[in-house]
Amino acid sequence: MCGIVGYIGAKKALPILLNCLGKLEYRGYDSCGVAVSAGDLQVYKDMVRVKALAKVVPPMSGTIGIGHTRWATHGEPSAANAHPHCDCAGRIAVVHNGTINNFLKLREMLAAEGHTLASQTDTEVIPHLIEKYYDGDFARAVERALKDLEGAYTMIALMAGESRLVAARQDSPLIIGIGDRENFFASDVPALLDYTSRVMYLEDGDIAMVTADSVKLRNGGSSIAREEHKISWSVEDAQKAGYEHFMLKEIHEQPKVIRDTLAGYISAAEPVANLAGAGGLADTLILASGTSYHAGLVGKTIIENLARVPVRVELASEFIYNGQASSRNNAIVITQSGETLDALKAIKKLKEEGCRVVTITNVVGSTATRVADQTIYTRAGPEISVAATKTFLAQLVALYWLALPYARVDISRLDSLVEDLRRLPVKVQQVLDNESLIAGHAKRLAEYENIFYIGRGINYPVALEGALKLKEISYIHAEGYASGELKHGPYALLGSRAPVVAVVARDNTYDPIIISLKEIKARKSPVLALVSENDETIKDLVDSVITIPDVDPLFSPVVNAVALQLLAYYVARERGCPIDFPRNLAKTLTVE
Amino acid sequence: MKQAVVLAAGEGQRLRPFTVTRPKAMLSIADRPILEFTIEALACNGLRDIILVVGYRKEQVYDYMGSGEKFGVNITYVTQETQLGTGHALSQAGDAVGDEFLVLSGDNLIDARTIADFVGVGPQAVLVKRVSDPQRYGVVNIVGDEVKDIVEKPKEARSNLVNTGIYAFTRDVFKFTASTLDLPDVLNAMIKEGYTINALETAGTWLDVVYPWDIISLNDAVLRGIETSLGGTIETGVSLKGKVVIGKDTVVRSGSSVYGPAVIGSGCEIGPHVSVMPATSIGDNVVISSFTEIRNSVIGDDVAIGPGTVISDSVIARGCTIKGRFTALGGTTDVRINGESPSINVGAIIGEDCKIESNVTAQPGVIVGNFCQVQPMKLIGGRLPDRSLVY
Repeated sequence: MCGIVGYIGAKKALPILLNCLGKLEYRGYDSCGVAVSAGDLQVYKDMVRVKALAKVVPPMSGTIGIGHTRWATHGEPSAANAHPHCDCAGRIAVVHNGTINNFLKLREMLAAEGHTLASQTDTEVIPHLIEKYYDGDFARAVERALKDLEGAYTMIALMAGESRLVAARQDSPLIIGIGDRENFFASDVPALLDYTSRVMYLEDGDIAMVTADSVKLRNGGSSIAREEHKISWSVEDAQKAGYEHFMLKEIHEQPKVIRDTLAGYISAAEPVANLAGAGGLADTLILASGTSYHAGLVGKTIIENLARVPVRVELASEFIYNGQASSRNNAIVITQSGETLDALKAIKKLKEEGCRVVTITNVVGSTATRVADQTIYTRAGPEISVAATKTFLAQLVALYWLALPYARVDISRLDSLVEDLRRLPVKVQQVLDNESLIAGHAKRLAEYENIFYIGRGINYPVALEGALKLKEISYIHAEGYASGELKHGPYALLGSRAPVVAVVARDNTYDPIIISLKEIKARKSPVLALVSENDETIKDLVDSVITIPDVDPLFSPVVNAVALQLLAYYVARERGCPIDFPRNLAKTLTVE
Repeated sequence: MKQAVVLAAGEGQRLRPFTVTRPKAMLSIADRPILEFTIEALACNGLRDIILVVGYRKEQVYDYMGSGEKFGVNITYVTQETQLGTGHALSQAGDAVGDEFLVLSGDNLIDARTIADFVGVGPQAVLVKRVSDPQRYGVVNIVGDEVKDIVEKPKEARSNLVNTGIYAFTRDVFKFTASTLDLPDVLNAMIKEGYTINALETAGTWLDVVYPWDIISLNDAVLRGIETSLGGTIETGVSLKGKVVIGKDTVVRSGSSVYGPAVIGSGCEIGPHVSVMPATSIGDNVVISSFTEIRNSVIGDDVAIGPGTVISDSVIARGCTIKGRFTALGGTTDVRINGESPSINVGAIIGEDCKIESNVTAQPGVIVGNFCQVQPMKLIGGRLPDRSLVY
C-alpha cells in the first residue's frame, strides 16, 4: 500500500513528481522520496509528508524521475526505509508498491554475494537484483530480476544514463499516462489529471518500457498492447473548492452522486445485474470490507425485504480463509477502489468455486472489473478523503437498483419506491442544509471518549458505519451495536460518560428501539437520536434529536448515513484532527 | 483589469419560497444557476481571476462552481458571515484583491456583451443601464460621464439610467467600506470626498430577479440564445424542432415532441408522448409521464410529473412529486407584494419537495411554499406557507 509515480519527457521531472505524489498521499504518507536522473542519479527521501519534502529537496535538473509516498508494511517509517531504494553503486533506483513474500531469502542471497542492503524493507532487494543481472540491457535485467520475486511487486525502475523507465505490475495497480512527447506512471488516476486524460491500465505480469515518446509492453515474454482509455474525471474532482476538507466536499457532493449513479442505470424494469440461475438473488453472497461491508449489510436487508430471499454477507478478509460458497451462489463483491487485495482474493476464490461474480466499484478499469463476470459502476467520481462517504451512498444506490427488478411487491409499491429513490438527492440535500444544527450536536459529543451507536433492522449497519466514521477521523472510541444486543454486555459500560447515538426509523423496529432507549436512559447515558420529522414520542424520551427528512424506511439508511457523516466530521473538526489524512490509515488497501 | 469580485452571499428574501433553501445566485435559469452567467461573461472578457464572496448557504456555491476549472476561471472564496450589505461584502475580499478590480453582483443576469466595454474602463467607474422603470432601482444622476450621485428607488427619477451593481474600483474603496455597508452609499461617500466616478452605459443584457415569477421571463430571455446540443437517447418517433438542449443519460421516449427553445437536463425520463413546448427548462433526474404538456416553465431537479398534466408559465422547484392530471395554467393575476399589486401573467409557483396528488388544479398566481402536501382533487390558490397540508 503506497503511491508510486514516474515521469519521462522534456520538462523538469521534480516538480511534476512532487505534484503527482501530493495527489497520491491518500495511499500513504509515512514518508516519501524521489529519484531523478540527469546522467547521474539524484535521490532524496525523508520521513515527512510530500509538502514538507518539496520545501527541502535540492534542485534537480533531470527530466526522468520516479517518486514514492509510503504506507509502512516491511520496516517502520523512517528515512532509511523510505523509497526510492538503490543498488550498491547508486545507479539504479526503484519505487515499489506491494509486499515481496520471499524477500528474506533474497536478502540473504544478495548479502552472501556481497551486496550491501541499507534498509529493512522488502523493496531494496529489487534494485540489487537488477544490478546483479545487469549485462548492458536495463530492461532485460529488470525482467530477469522480477522472475526471482514472489508476491506483489508493482514497481518502477530508473537507471543512470538510461533514457527510459522500466515498470512492472503485479497485484497492485499501475497506470501509464500518455502525454505529448512525455509519459507518466502513477498508482491511480487522480495523480495524472493535471497532465493528461489518456491512460493505459497495466495488468498483472505486464512489464512496461517507456521513453518520452514510446510505450512498449511485454507479458509472459512476448510483446502485447493495452487499450488506451480516456478519463472523464477532471482536475476539479481532486480539488477542495472552498471547503476546508475533502471529506466535507465529498459529503456535499452526495446529492449529485446519487443523481449520477441513478442516471447510469436504465429503468427499474431492466435489471442492472445479469444473475445466473433461475433463483435470481436467492442465496446471494455479498463480500466486502470496511465501509463497503456496511453497504453490503444494508444490501442484505434491501434484498431480503424486496426479493424475500435469504442473503449472506461476509467480510472479504475472513471469507478468503474459511468461507464457503457453492456454484449456485451469485456473489456481489463491493470494493470502492476495485483494488482492495482482500476483495480481489475473494473474487478469485469465488470464481474457483464456480460462482457468478458481480462487482460494485467506483474505479473504471480497476482490477476487480477485469476479474469479475460483471461490473456495476457507482459514479461517485474520485474519492480523496480516506474516510469513505460518497462512495458508500453510491454503493447503496447501486444495491437498491440491483434489487428492485427482483422485488416481490405489487406494482404500485414498486412505482412509489422508484419514485422515492429518484427523490433521494433532495432528501439528502435537506440533511446537508441542516448542517449547522448537526455541528452543534457534534460540539457536545466531542468531549466524550466512548460513544455507542445503535440501530436496528436496516439501520443497524448504519450505526456500524456511523461508529466507524467517528473512530477513524476523530479517534474517539466508538462502537456500533444492534440495539437489541446492548443488553448482552454493553449495558455495563453505559453511564453519564458514555453517550449513545440512536438511529431510529419508522419501521417494524420502532417499538423495540423505544424500549431500548428507555433502558439506556435508565442507565443515565446521554442520548442523541436521529428521528424522522414530526416524531414527538422520541423527542420526549431522549436528550437531543437530529431531525431527518421523512423517507420510506427502506431508504432511511441513505439519509441517516449522511447525518452521521456530518456528525463524525464536526466532532473530528472540533477536536482538531487531520480529517482527510487520519493517522495510520490509508485509502486503497492493496495489502492483507 | 484582470481581477473581479463577484458578490454571491445574499439570500434574496423576496424570492421565497425558492431562497429558503438556496442562495439567490444559485437559482436556476435555463438549467444553470444565475451566477454561472456572470462567471461566463467574465471568462469571455478575459477575467479569469475571480474572488467569490459567499455567505448564505455557501456550500451550494462551492458544490456547483468548485474551483472554477469547469468554467475556465480560477475562483478564490471569501466568506461574509452575516449579510450586512454589498459594501460590507466587498470589504471581506480586501485581502484577496490587487490594486484594481471589477465588482459584480452574482445575482443579476448579464452576458459577455454587457461588460465588454466596461472591462477596459479604469477605476473608479460604474456601469449603468437605461431602463423604462428607473424608480425600481438605484437611479444614477450624471453630468457628462461623471456620476453626481445615486438615489435608491426615488419617488421621482431624474434620469433613466440605473445602477447595475457593476463597478471598477481601486483599493481606495476599502477606506469607505469600513464605515459604509452598501456600495451605492460608498459611491456617494467617495464623490463627497472628491473622487471622480465615471459612468459607462451598456446596451447589453442586464436583468434582475426580484420576485419568483421573474424567473419565468428571464428563462424565456435566456433560452432564446441557446444552441442545440443533444445527449442521451432520443427514441425514434420523437419530434424535435427549434433549438433544443438534451443532457446526457436522458431518455426521450417515442411520440414525444420537444419544441425549442427548450433545455432538458441529464438523467431524465421524458415520455412517451410528452410535449415540451417553447421556453421550457427542465432540470436533471426529472421524470415526465405520458400525455403531459409543459410550456414556458422552469422545472427543477429531481421532479416527477404524472400523466395528463398541463403546466404553463410556472416554476416548480426541485424534488416535487406531482401526480397525474395536474393543471397549472397562466392567467393574469394581481399579487400583493410590499403594498404594491403588480398585475402579472403567471401559472403556479411551487417550492421544493412538495407532494401534489392526482387531479389538483392550481389557480393562476398560486404560490406554494416548500415541503407542502396537497391531497387529490383539490383546487389551490393564493399563498400557501411552507409545510402546508391541503386536505
